[in-house]
Amino acid sequence: MSADPAAAGPVGVTRAEHFATVGQQRHAATLGMWAWLLTELLLFAGLFLTALILRLLHPEAVQAAAGHLKFWIGAANTVVLLCSSLTMSAAIELSRLGWQRMMVGCLVATASLGALFLALKGYEYYADYEEHMMPFLARRPYALAEQPATRLFVNLYYVATALHAVHLLTGIAILVGLTWKASRPGFLQRHQNWIEVYGLYWHFIDLIWIIAFPVLYVVNR
Amino acid sequence: MKAQSALALWPPAASATAVETDHIILGFTVLTLLLTVPVFLAITYFALRYRQGEVADRTTDGRRSVLIEISWMLIPYVLTLFFFGWGAKLFIDSRHPPPDAMVVEAVGRQWMWKFQHPTGQSEINDLHLPIDQPVRIRITSQDVIHALYLPALRLQIAALPDRTTEIWFKADRTGTFRLYCSEYCGTDHSVMDGNLTLMTQAAYQDWLTHGGAQQSNVAAGRAIYESYGCAGCHDGAVAGVKAPALAGLYGRAVHLADGRTITADADYIRAKILNPNANRLAGGGKQVMPSFAGVIPADDLDRLVGYLKSYHRVADGETR
Amino acid sequence: MSSAGSLQGEAAARDPHTPSPTLDRPDDYLHAQSTLRSWFLTTDHKRIALLYLASITAFFVVGAVAAGFVRLALVVPDGAILTNDTYNKAFTIHGVVMVWFFLIPSIPATFGNFLIPLMIGAKDLAFPKLNLASWYVFMTGALFTLAAVVLGGVDTGWTFYAPLSTAFSNTWVLPALIGVTITGFSSILTGLNFVVTIHTMRAPGMTWFRLPIFVWTHYATSLIFLLATPVITLALILLIAERAFHVGVFDPAYGGDPVLFQHLFWFYSHPAVYIMVLPGMGVISEIVPAFAQKKLFGYRFVAYAAIGLASVTFFVWGHHMFVNGQSDLASLAFSALSFAVAVPSAVKVYNWTATIHKGSLRLDTPMLYAMGYIGLFVLGGLTGLYLATLAINQHIHATYFVVAHFHYIMVGGTVLAFLGGLHFWWPKITGRMYSEPWGRISALFIFIGFNVTFFPQFILGYLGMPRRYATYPPEFQLLNVLSSAGSTILAAGYLFPMVYLVHSLWFGRRAPGNPWDAKGLEWETASPPPPHNFAGVPRVPEVPYDYPIQAPETGRQHT
Repeated sequence: MSADPAAAGPVGVTRAEHFATVGQQRHAATLGMWAWLLTELLLFAGLFLTALILRLLHPEAVQAAAGHLKFWIGAANTVVLLCSSLTMSAAIELSRLGWQRMMVGCLVATASLGALFLALKGYEYYADYEEHMMPFLARRPYALAEQPATRLFVNLYYVATALHAVHLLTGIAILVGLTWKASRPGFLQRHQNWIEVYGLYWHFIDLIWIIAFPVLYVVNR
Repeated sequence: MKAQSALALWPPAASATAVETDHIILGFTVLTLLLTVPVFLAITYFALRYRQGEVADRTTDGRRSVLIEISWMLIPYVLTLFFFGWGAKLFIDSRHPPPDAMVVEAVGRQWMWKFQHPTGQSEINDLHLPIDQPVRIRITSQDVIHALYLPALRLQIAALPDRTTEIWFKADRTGTFRLYCSEYCGTDHSVMDGNLTLMTQAAYQDWLTHGGAQQSNVAAGRAIYESYGCAGCHDGAVAGVKAPALAGLYGRAVHLADGRTITADADYIRAKILNPNANRLAGGGKQVMPSFAGVIPADDLDRLVGYLKSYHRVADGETR
Repeated sequence: MSSAGSLQGEAAARDPHTPSPTLDRPDDYLHAQSTLRSWFLTTDHKRIALLYLASITAFFVVGAVAAGFVRLALVVPDGAILTNDTYNKAFTIHGVVMVWFFLIPSIPATFGNFLIPLMIGAKDLAFPKLNLASWYVFMTGALFTLAAVVLGGVDTGWTFYAPLSTAFSNTWVLPALIGVTITGFSSILTGLNFVVTIHTMRAPGMTWFRLPIFVWTHYATSLIFLLATPVITLALILLIAERAFHVGVFDPAYGGDPVLFQHLFWFYSHPAVYIMVLPGMGVISEIVPAFAQKKLFGYRFVAYAAIGLASVTFFVWGHHMFVNGQSDLASLAFSALSFAVAVPSAVKVYNWTATIHKGSLRLDTPMLYAMGYIGLFVLGGLTGLYLATLAINQHIHATYFVVAHFHYIMVGGTVLAFLGGLHFWWPKITGRMYSEPWGRISALFIFIGFNVTFFPQFILGYLGMPRRYATYPPEFQLLNVLSSAGSTILAAGYLFPMVYLVHSLWFGRRAPGNPWDAKGLEWETASPPPPHNFAGVPRVPEVPYDYPIQAPETGRQHT
């Protein structure tokens, strides 16, 4: 690990051995995250496309099933995630300025908002359970059993939201680790770009929910 | 005909569409040869002519080669497009049956075909049809995806579990040809086949009135016996299930749990299939067989009972 | 730039650190460290490439043995050798292992990993740790699936069509699916690494149109990895959810749509064909100019054709479903688009042929493989157009014609390119020369054995023999026996390299830095290369494929 001249200031990046310049390294990290997000987008795109196809195939069933979704919890969660994106953006700006302590505060706020989202989501799942809206539970009667096609939409809703929740959970876990590292002295001199690259991922999780909410909750109301 | 020679290089064709499909493929093959043989010859020639050490003129002019590039990109493509159009036309024609076509309903299930003629007769795995008459086959599946493949007509169509697909043709040659399942459907995919018999209209009418109505041949019954899972327990393939063997059952005396002894006739067998809990057998075995009432259609049940009547004869000799 | 000799001298002068071929080189990447740990925790792209090479060779052997059982069973028509169930499990092992664990990673994960940094003048891939991680992900998924299909047995075929795979098969489908899903992430990570590396890690002066075609085709392949793999991941997740928890959208018992699975499956699996084919085209585009000592004909067209193929391939998946009740309009569109694939494919084939024209040819083993590749790829490609023709497809869909067609593409194409590349870069990878006579003999065996095995299958298919049949009507026996006989020749052809290549590791002649007088940065460093590839920053030549014999180049004035 050789220190680059650029790393001398309060904010910078240490060059890894196989890169020629720090600029190259930053470019590679950013591009790598974008490429990853592209594949993630396609993963979810297939799911949302399937949801829309289902709506075309079985419009009444989809509407009957979507009527049981908790619209206001979904809406509240949308607001929660938008706020978390705001605090994440603030953390990135602060990291560029080198204000480490405030940046760590913003990261903690971001992780907390993410956890709040999961808590609300968990409550929503619990409410679904109470309403007998879990058709894959063999021993629990299903509320819309007389409309078999509703199962498809409900199942897809669980796959999509669970996959999103897994992404968010992973995101929070990484964020907690990152926050712990970022609170160490000298972090911003060595790894400022970690915050920027991670921010892309967080905004992406937000984006997926922003697509999922209308596709699952709003258009079927 | 069914007894084909060991080395046939061309399949028999039994309709005008089949013949035209052959024309497309022959034409395409000619084009393929025109496009590939020069490349193969050129590579071989260049490999010999320009080998290292051979004296040869290797000067190239520096002319821009866009024209060459564009021409060998597009000329083969445009030539092949002719076959796209021809093939598409024939394909679309085979999707749109004429209004006077007779309708045959086909159902695929693991692992048998069932065909129902417009006059109500049905047959298992084999299909008898008249020539010079448009025939429309409406096809569906009861379980996984199958596909009905009629090579002599150059046609196949998938049997999907949730919908009906259809295909039509007008055969013009009598004979017995093969029919297959061509979409992989599990263990016995390769035995889900049978014969397509094309006959004159008069012979077909005759077959409907004499042969078709009471088709009870052993092979059809056996297919049903296996398809409904009877063989799994009663032929001992499933470990741990002590189901009584059915070979030779017909006409034999059966001891029941309440002390009666009755003869296993057709009515007994039929009742036992529909309601296994009645007439409990002596010997104290646990009754695990499910009821087939509402599961097996009446004509299939007839075939199954017919098969069980003859099972002892089959079991003595060949099992198939 | 007139003669090979002066270029050689120039290359040597450029890199004074190239050691003489007779010296022992303890400082090359193979010998720099020797502990087991230094292999299994390495971040050197060259060592990771060798980890992949060893693992996919093992998987190839498993898949080939399964194929041997399949061909053995088909010697008799009545299924007397293997039961239907065993036969189905054998062809599933063959398909699953060959497609997911040999063909897809074959060239990208080995040669791509090894050569991309060397060819663009970088020290390593952009994310070396991620590269190692993707090998572990690959091995986890592969061993999981391998255990499921070999020890447990799976009878769905590699295509996993619903509802057979979700509701009807009583075999170990679930672990096999989970393993394949895991492996998909390895593909994504490898593709991501390549894209980022090619974008950001090129040496000074290595502009896009100075990149070797090998790098172009791997760039195109990586885009397919990134864009198509997530869709199959999703499809497999839905399949797993449906099989394990009855949460799904394919089972018609709930009003689901089994054809939807086919759409999702082929949206990945047709582009996956180009994951297998494009890297092979890259290999051939390196071998042909080197052994003709002539500049590649129409460099820019060949480069664009790679991107063109990678793009068109995303719009043709529906040609797998012509007889599945797809609408006429969709069938027409997919048929027409499939014909368009012929355009970039023709560009490649004609440009290779034109490169050989007036070259100075050496018919060494790699070149033999390359020439075999061109012939078999042409046949495989054109029979693909037969299948894309709607009326013909209605007859030969799901018959042995399809089997023959895709083996011409995947064995005639990918495997021959893989073997050609293996011989071409063997001196660079190992620092040893293989036995040339044995190389030529086995190339001949493979070419002949392959054609005897698979050409009869075109005829079988047109005669109407459906694929995946454990038993078949007796009139097809003669051609099946011929095909099985050919497979024994093919097997011998595969066995020879495994022996003489391994033998050369200890007893082969030491390889010089550039045994073929080939161009490209990988030949300017030592064989085997030092851990960080180049002694200094490599100097990039102004023109790619700067061989002694020039070829007309349409875009040369822009470079």
